[in-house]
Amino acid sequence: MSQNKNINLGYINLFNTHIIPVKFNYHAPQTLEEALNLLNKLKDKARVIAGGTDLIVDMKLRRKEPEHVVSLNKIRELDYITVDSLGVKIGAIVKLRKIEKEKIIRERFPALYEALKSMASIQVRNMGTMVGNICNASPAADTAPPLLIYNATLTAKSLNNERKIPIEEFFKAPGKTALKEDELVTEIFIPYPPQDSHSTFLKITRVGMDLSKVSIAVLTKFNGSIIEDIRIALGAVAPTPLRIRRAEEFLKNKPLTEENLKIVQEIVAKEIKPITDVRSTEWYRREVAKVLVKDALMKCLEEEGGR
Amino acid sequence: MNSNFIGVKTPRKDALAKVTGREKYAYDIYLPGMLYARVLKSPYPHARVKKIDVSRAVEMGAIVITFKDVPDVMFNPRLISTPDTTYKDWRVLTDNPRYIGEPIAAVAAESEELAQRALESIEVEYEVLEPVLDPIEAMEEGKPKIHEKIMLGNREIVVERNIACRLEIQEGDVEEAFRNSDLIIERTFKTNKCYHNQLEPKVAVVNPEPDGGLTIWCTTQSIHNTRLLISEIFSIPVSRINVKRLPIGGSFGSSIQTNIVVPIAVALALKARRPVRLAYTKEEDMYEHSSFQMIFKFKIGVRKDGKLTGGYMENIMDIGAHQIQAYPLLGTCAGWWVSLYKLQAVKYVGVAVYTNKIPACAYRGYGNPQVTWAVETIMDEIAEILNIDPIELRLKNYVGEGDIFWGQGPTVKSIIKSCGVEEILRKGAELIGWKNRPRPGEQKGRFRRGVGMARGYHTSSAGSPIPGQVIDYTGAILKVNEDGSVDYITAMVDQGGGTLEAHAKIIAEELCIPLEKVNIVQADTQTTIYDVCTHASRGVYAGGGAALNAAKQVKKKLLELAARVLDAYPHTLKIRYDKEKKQGVIYVEGADGREITIGELATLARVKNWGTIAAVETYRPPACPPHFTGYFVEVLVDTETGIVKPTRVVIGADVGRVINPDLAEGQLHGGFLMGWSRATIEDLKYSRETGDIECRGFITDYKMPTVMETPTEIQTFFVETFEPTGPFGAKGLGEGAQNPAIAAIANAIYNAIGVRFYELPITPEKILEKLKEKEKIELKIVEGV
Repeated sequence: MSQNKNINLGYINLFNTHIIPVKFNYHAPQTLEEALNLLNKLKDKARVIAGGTDLIVDMKLRRKEPEHVVSLNKIRELDYITVDSLGVKIGAIVKLRKIEKEKIIRERFPALYEALKSMASIQVRNMGTMVGNICNASPAADTAPPLLIYNATLTAKSLNNERKIPIEEFFKAPGKTALKEDELVTEIFIPYPPQDSHSTFLKITRVGMDLSKVSIAVLTKFNGSIIEDIRIALGAVAPTPLRIRRAEEFLKNKPLTEENLKIVQEIVAKEIKPITDVRSTEWYRREVAKVLVKDALMKCLEEEGGR
Repeated sequence: MNSNFIGVKTPRKDALAKVTGREKYAYDIYLPGMLYARVLKSPYPHARVKKIDVSRAVEMGAIVITFKDVPDVMFNPRLISTPDTTYKDWRVLTDNPRYIGEPIAAVAAESEELAQRALESIEVEYEVLEPVLDPIEAMEEGKPKIHEKIMLGNREIVVERNIACRLEIQEGDVEEAFRNSDLIIERTFKTNKCYHNQLEPKVAVVNPEPDGGLTIWCTTQSIHNTRLLISEIFSIPVSRINVKRLPIGGSFGSSIQTNIVVPIAVALALKARRPVRLAYTKEEDMYEHSSFQMIFKFKIGVRKDGKLTGGYMENIMDIGAHQIQAYPLLGTCAGWWVSLYKLQAVKYVGVAVYTNKIPACAYRGYGNPQVTWAVETIMDEIAEILNIDPIELRLKNYVGEGDIFWGQGPTVKSIIKSCGVEEILRKGAELIGWKNRPRPGEQKGRFRRGVGMARGYHTSSAGSPIPGQVIDYTGAILKVNEDGSVDYITAMVDQGGGTLEAHAKIIAEELCIPLEKVNIVQADTQTTIYDVCTHASRGVYAGGGAALNAAKQVKKKLLELAARVLDAYPHTLKIRYDKEKKQGVIYVEGADGREITIGELATLARVKNWGTIAAVETYRPPACPPHFTGYFVEVLVDTETGIVKPTRVVIGADVGRVINPDLAEGQLHGGFLMGWSRATIEDLKYSRETGDIECRGFITDYKMPTVMETPTEIQTFFVETFEPTGPFGAKGLGEGAQNPAIAAIANAIYNAIGVRFYELPITPEKILEKLKEKEKIELKIVEGV
């Protein structure tokens, strides 16, 4: 029993979801240049908002209390999906739902399509953006595993610089990315997967509209019964979404036998670092990650057989 | 029976306003000059306030109240039990918070934002006390005392070992019964604490009137009990308090008590002398109410032929930090048990224990889903051991027509006069394909199918021939308007299930007038006579009974007046519903042309100064007839992930006469989904480190099924019986619609994988763990280790 003086409001008194109980300055630049100027000036005092499906919630719950909020929603030059011979480019404020409805996504990037379709509700997908989903850097971001297996590249711009960041180098920790405080992700480029490859996305959740307990995206390219190219990425099982390179290296140039499958499952179980949280337990995540690896690979194999 | 409205599908009167968003709920009430309130809550599960400084909030212009500013009155927010059985341990605001979220102070300001700022400026110095989160631990000697002294009625009592109250029942010689048994089965069950997650969070808007009185708009299941409680706490005459009856966005029992927002808003409004609105956010709402958590120990004896002999039940209930209805629940849990199956001897020990958790209150079924889960699990086990068909075992033992039924604990009983149990079970079995169900645990392969069943019931009202410890009566006022329409005035709250719509149909049926001519008046406490509360599945049965009796009174008066006009004897007159005229027509049988519409008659009554045709009916339901349900559930278990999906559901119900077929079916659909949620998903888990709920009030982490979890096939059917004490033969439905769901789902999971679960919820994590354990054991057996 402690007698210490305790002046503590507790988070329970700070939450107020009727309002955004945070004082902030709102900026709505019309051009990218204006936005980059603002970020250059405000640096870490500013938070960027696109769909707001993460930031507004965080602000209502006082997880984030930015002095400035810079909205990208009036910057029309960031609202595009362009398709060329190399792949698809998606601007920073394109809504998840719009990407999901794009024919090229459904046809060439089935893992991303499945991930988009599985996210939240249509209402939320009409608000949220894919760049936002990535920049929020949740370990459970559903678009992350597909973008990882498709080797997507992000374009980061600041007032004086532009650079390309491979998605695998983008996530640093929960909520932390490779982005500098004055940088914006303006575009995601997704190159086409290899001809005749198969890719798929699976996830396990508590209920239909939910964050993943575990998610997975897998890409395979077979040459006969031999796996020529293989990419495996998982979400919600480590501080960041991650590619399981060791599993990929093991499977490359091997047939997908029952024995190999078992070894891959064990490699995946070893490589991931799941935690116990309100959604699930460490043990369960490890167990079902193995199941998802098998299910995803078998699905790709079935597609190969049916081709 | 030929009916114009009973059992006929008709559109709801409130549907248009609801689907267009124009219905006015308490949350939609805005008054000129209204202040916005916020509540300062304890961040500790157990603490004492040593110092509180509100000066900055006052400087900011806020109206502030703390525990020092509220009446020193100990109360119980629920006024359904008789005063001598009501335990009181609540205060409006406290300096001794006993759970995270308990209100300590409150502010009101010109906007939500200002109120929030004012709230955050309050400085509190706490002495942090050790919390107790487990009910078994709480009863150990030397554990921190959550309450020292509480009140039972007007008597002060001392709390020992954190035991809030207890109840023991013994009938017959249990030991003798066990001696006469061929099989004795003993099991322990643990249920989950659940959040009601009704759509509308709790709200109160209070307007202080110039005469010192109050007008209150709030989320409540009982406007009269809200008025009585506010009068009791604040010593304001009952006549000066007016509580408005509003549509509410569901409650599932969470407003059976007057929610704490109401007295807090009242205290603020009295101090501010201005209207105050206190609306909880969804997150705050989760800290306001939840269900009881129970640990059951059962010992049941049975003979080889499947006849049950006697039983022992121990029920330890975690009630959280305050009593709302722990004592009556101890009684109902015993009642739900003994009214399922006949036992010659029973012994029951119920103990309600305080913990530093969110206070528990009624939650759809009031202990019945939990008790039914335990009993129906045991019945399934007995059936398997004795190799008797589970349905036959149930039919051999069930409490049915002619038997005594405990509707609301040991003091509310009546004889069952309508019962469709056998038909429900036979028809349900046929529809689900019971004979072809898998044998438990015999399936191989990853995906395994399971079929399970369970039966149950719930009371309809807490009525009985003699008064018990539960207050149950209601009332209706009915007046005939000059055009032949009627105004129906009742205090009964419609929780959203269409209760008042059912009353309107009953009135229309009795008076032979079109449904649209029954006007459900927006009412309040000053224009209605007493109704206890919309709970205990009593809306249609008790409220409909009052409405029917009022309509009968009105009909008698109509016939008396019509007799003057038609020159006939009142008792020979008939009424028919004339669809063309859209009127009720009173006529003399066999005498052509001797007829008058109710509209013409009412107009004539005005012109001739005969007066208004009206009736006041105060009504005590004479019985507590059970409505019966049976669940048949098919599931598919993925043995590699532990994920279970419902694939097919058949639900049969005996609700007496069905008043509203669409709405009745909706209750069954909702009942299944809620049961699915309680069986497999929901759990308001506490962290031992923080003493807080793990989801911290966020429904993001308090999951419930979505449309994606809904099975594509839910088949419902009604076995219509006629309840002689009910309006047009009707009984209740709201709670029985769900009660056996958890049990049937649990039995289906067992049928699929051969593993029983004695702790809710049955999550994929738990299923996978058990399956892995079983796998290991089986492997060892195979390897001969």
